[in-house]
Amino acid sequence: MRDITKKREQRYSYGLALLRECIEKKRLWTNNEDEKKAVLRVENIDLSFGDLRALNNVSVDVRGHEILAIIGPNGAGKTSLLNVISGFYRAQRGDIYFNEEKITRFSSHKIAERGICRTFQNIALYSGLTVTDNIIAGRHPHINYNFLTGMIYFPWANREEAYQRAIAEDIIDFLELEHVRGSVVGMLAYGLRKRVELGRALALEPRILLLDEPMAGMNVDEKEDMARFIIDINEFLKIPIVLIEHDMGVVMDIADRIFVLDFGNPIAEGSPEEIKQNQKVISAYLGTG
Amino acid sequence: MNINRPCGTFDRNYFQAKELYRTPLRKTLLALFIIAMYVIPFVVGEYGISILTPICAFTIGMLGLQIITGYAGQISIGHAAFMGIGMYTVAILQKYFGFSFWLALPFSGLVAMAVGIIFGIPALRMKGLYLAFATLAAHFVIVYVISNWRSVTNGTDGMYMSRPGVLFGIDFTDDRNYYFLALTVTAIMTYLATNLARTKLGRALVAVRDNDIAAELMGINVGTTKVLAFGIGCFFAGVSGAIGGAYYEYVNVEWFGLDDSIWYLGFLVVGGFGSIFGAIAGAVVWKVMDELSTLVTPLTEALLGGAAFYASAAFSLLFYSLIIITFLVFEPRGISHRWEMIKRSYRLHPFPY
Amino acid sequence: MEEIIKSIVLGICSGGIYALIAVSYVVIYKSTRVFPFSQAAVLIIGAYIMWYCTIAWHIPIWLGFVITCAGGAILGMFVERAFMRPLVGQPILAPIVVTLSLMLFLRGVGILMGKGDVQGFGESFLPVGAWQFGFLHLPKIQIYAFLLCAVIIAALILFYQKTRTGLGMRVVHEDHVVAQNLGINVKRIFQYSWIISCIIASIAGMLLGNIQGVGLALDANGIVAIAAVLFGGLESFSGAIVAGLTIGILQMLTIAYIAPLLPGETTMMVPFVFLLLVLFIKPYGLFGLVRIERL
Repeated sequence: MRDITKKREQRYSYGLALLRECIEKKRLWTNNEDEKKAVLRVENIDLSFGDLRALNNVSVDVRGHEILAIIGPNGAGKTSLLNVISGFYRAQRGDIYFNEEKITRFSSHKIAERGICRTFQNIALYSGLTVTDNIIAGRHPHINYNFLTGMIYFPWANREEAYQRAIAEDIIDFLELEHVRGSVVGMLAYGLRKRVELGRALALEPRILLLDEPMAGMNVDEKEDMARFIIDINEFLKIPIVLIEHDMGVVMDIADRIFVLDFGNPIAEGSPEEIKQNQKVISAYLGTG
Repeated sequence: MNINRPCGTFDRNYFQAKELYRTPLRKTLLALFIIAMYVIPFVVGEYGISILTPICAFTIGMLGLQIITGYAGQISIGHAAFMGIGMYTVAILQKYFGFSFWLALPFSGLVAMAVGIIFGIPALRMKGLYLAFATLAAHFVIVYVISNWRSVTNGTDGMYMSRPGVLFGIDFTDDRNYYFLALTVTAIMTYLATNLARTKLGRALVAVRDNDIAAELMGINVGTTKVLAFGIGCFFAGVSGAIGGAYYEYVNVEWFGLDDSIWYLGFLVVGGFGSIFGAIAGAVVWKVMDELSTLVTPLTEALLGGAAFYASAAFSLLFYSLIIITFLVFEPRGISHRWEMIKRSYRLHPFPY
Repeated sequence: MEEIIKSIVLGICSGGIYALIAVSYVVIYKSTRVFPFSQAAVLIIGAYIMWYCTIAWHIPIWLGFVITCAGGAILGMFVERAFMRPLVGQPILAPIVVTLSLMLFLRGVGILMGKGDVQGFGESFLPVGAWQFGFLHLPKIQIYAFLLCAVIIAALILFYQKTRTGLGMRVVHEDHVVAQNLGINVKRIFQYSWIISCIIASIAGMLLGNIQGVGLALDANGIVAIAAVLFGGLESFSGAIVAGLTIGILQMLTIAYIAPLLPGETTMMVPFVFLLLVLFIKPYGLFGLVRIERL
């Protein structure tokens, strides 16, 4: 850990270096061989609400360094799948392994601490906090002092706070949120809030990032920005990304692999080219045209 | 564009970025305010001190409620009962175990904290209104136990307790010196609450308040956070009870009925939700209104037909509740919000936004 | 055994009124999502209006009943229009604190109306006396009050099921914004809920006043009924009815079995301890709506 309290170390922007250091320490794979291995395995998941079958025997895995897109019509169970992975819904059957550790029965905050971080379809920010505080709040599990230390505000708590703030500013810098960093989130525009949410997920030092429709309701410029951030995160921080998205253009451009769901059933999996040719996918979702 | 910052102040490092009092002017004003609070008792005399000391006690309690309700968003309709636990803890420890006030003071907070955590455990499973009723139930249970466990608490007759004696040559049985003690404790507790609000746990509390599902999915243990909020808030309530009870050197279970819990919540909202300033403002308004109502009572008794006892009982109820209701209808975000708006318009002065 | 049966029968009788009060909470909570603590004090106001009509002004009972209902309706309308409507859309704490303060405000009004004393009705407006079934000694007042409560609740449920306004209220219960978009006047529905609820609470108040005497202690019944509402689940009429009866039985059993063992007002305390236990096992009450949370 850099000692950002030293004069020499203090600067305006670290260009994600601080966050990168944190993440690199915990990366699951080191060489290109491991890159092909699955970090997250979802095996035979069944999920139903009463009589409604939301997920039916779904298996999917996410490899060390890829962008996996999950597509499918509305109500296909995409968000439910992410909810099951992050422990918000409990699957009736099936298991989830993360880094060969079974996390099916873990509580949500433990899963988040393991490094499975996500954003939400309907923005779920802490609307009463400022942008900076939202991102620092995302760092909660990685702040190294207890509440008593915080209350008394010992010097080391002060240093830790400054360090966390440096990381947060780092992320703000990366996501180009500088102009709104002091604003209360509830008053921001939709596109900006989506970006803050991505920043909060990044602050949690993800080892895998689940993005639930990060580009919904954005215009072309904003979509391009968001796609750039996603690719940057994937390339520069080397974090695997699971992406739910309806914009086929974006998905075909940035995804390494695509997984297609239809009414809770997995119908196809493969590279964008394969998916484009797949008859089942065309009839269920893409359509001819 | 951060409009909560005075013009022309820039951060050179991350330590400055999170300072609460950034400009020399504000630091001076804070120092002056603290000095003024210590000088005031020499100016206002006996009557002033008799108002200021309870304000100190209520401020501590209000800070506790602010942590539970304002920051963590868990509505507590039993806060006065936890204050009562603090009072009775001091009284019981002094009577049966011969503790001095100094030793009993931390215990008052700790016992209230333990009870608060016990009644906060339902927060692990409940949310919103259901939890509010669990605290209401806590209120009834606590008051029931205190008023019926006669062998220990002396029932509804109340208990006597003593102020701290002489320490470092300061005689705390004197009202003015006791005020200094109360003020010092209040200052310490305010400092603790302020730091709590701006560090790790404080952010987690607000996260739980604003979006508990997202908080859980973003690595915050919501259950523990809620229970901790109850514990810390009740610790404050216990200390506030100890300070307030020792001032009157007497405690009675009548002092913390359901009414008082409701006034606590009401004046918290009058003061402002989710800010330390709001808690202090709420406590000050409460005590000032209390004094006003005792001043006006003779007048209203004449108006309401004779000096009947019921008229004054009704009057204080009507007076408080009307203040809270009118305040909420016209400024639901409380004094602190209004104060922020005044500051903002002052900073932006010639421009409206 | 006799004691238990007696407790249960009497408990059901007194539970009828709890069910009625609980329903008056549910009516408002269902449509406005604000919990009306003030209804506990509306009981006192209703009882005092009836007392003034019959005892002080010697108005016939049926007219007194109508006047009390009208008084309740006006009170409900005024409260909704003056205090609750400005708070629509404000942080949830504000309306809760307002209803809590209103409870104490109305209590203060009650003190002024009754000059601080407990007043009796002198002559009950329901038949007095008792029926004797073997070992069961059933006061007629209780039975008639129970029947009246049952009729009112049945009428209310019919209103919800059959009328257009009732349909509107059910829609508003589902979602305020959707209801507004469907062309339902949500504000008017809020007003109707407050009016209906206050009428019900005043009726419950006068029944209770008839049984227990008119005084400030009546709002204790309202607070016990809060336990009933929670126990049944905040949004369900059937829950409120079942829970009201259960709380009534529980209180009678408390009087029979627990009160001799413990000092003080156990009848107030036991329902709340019971409530804590129930909520711990079923956090949304017996019939409460468990919403599947979505992200």
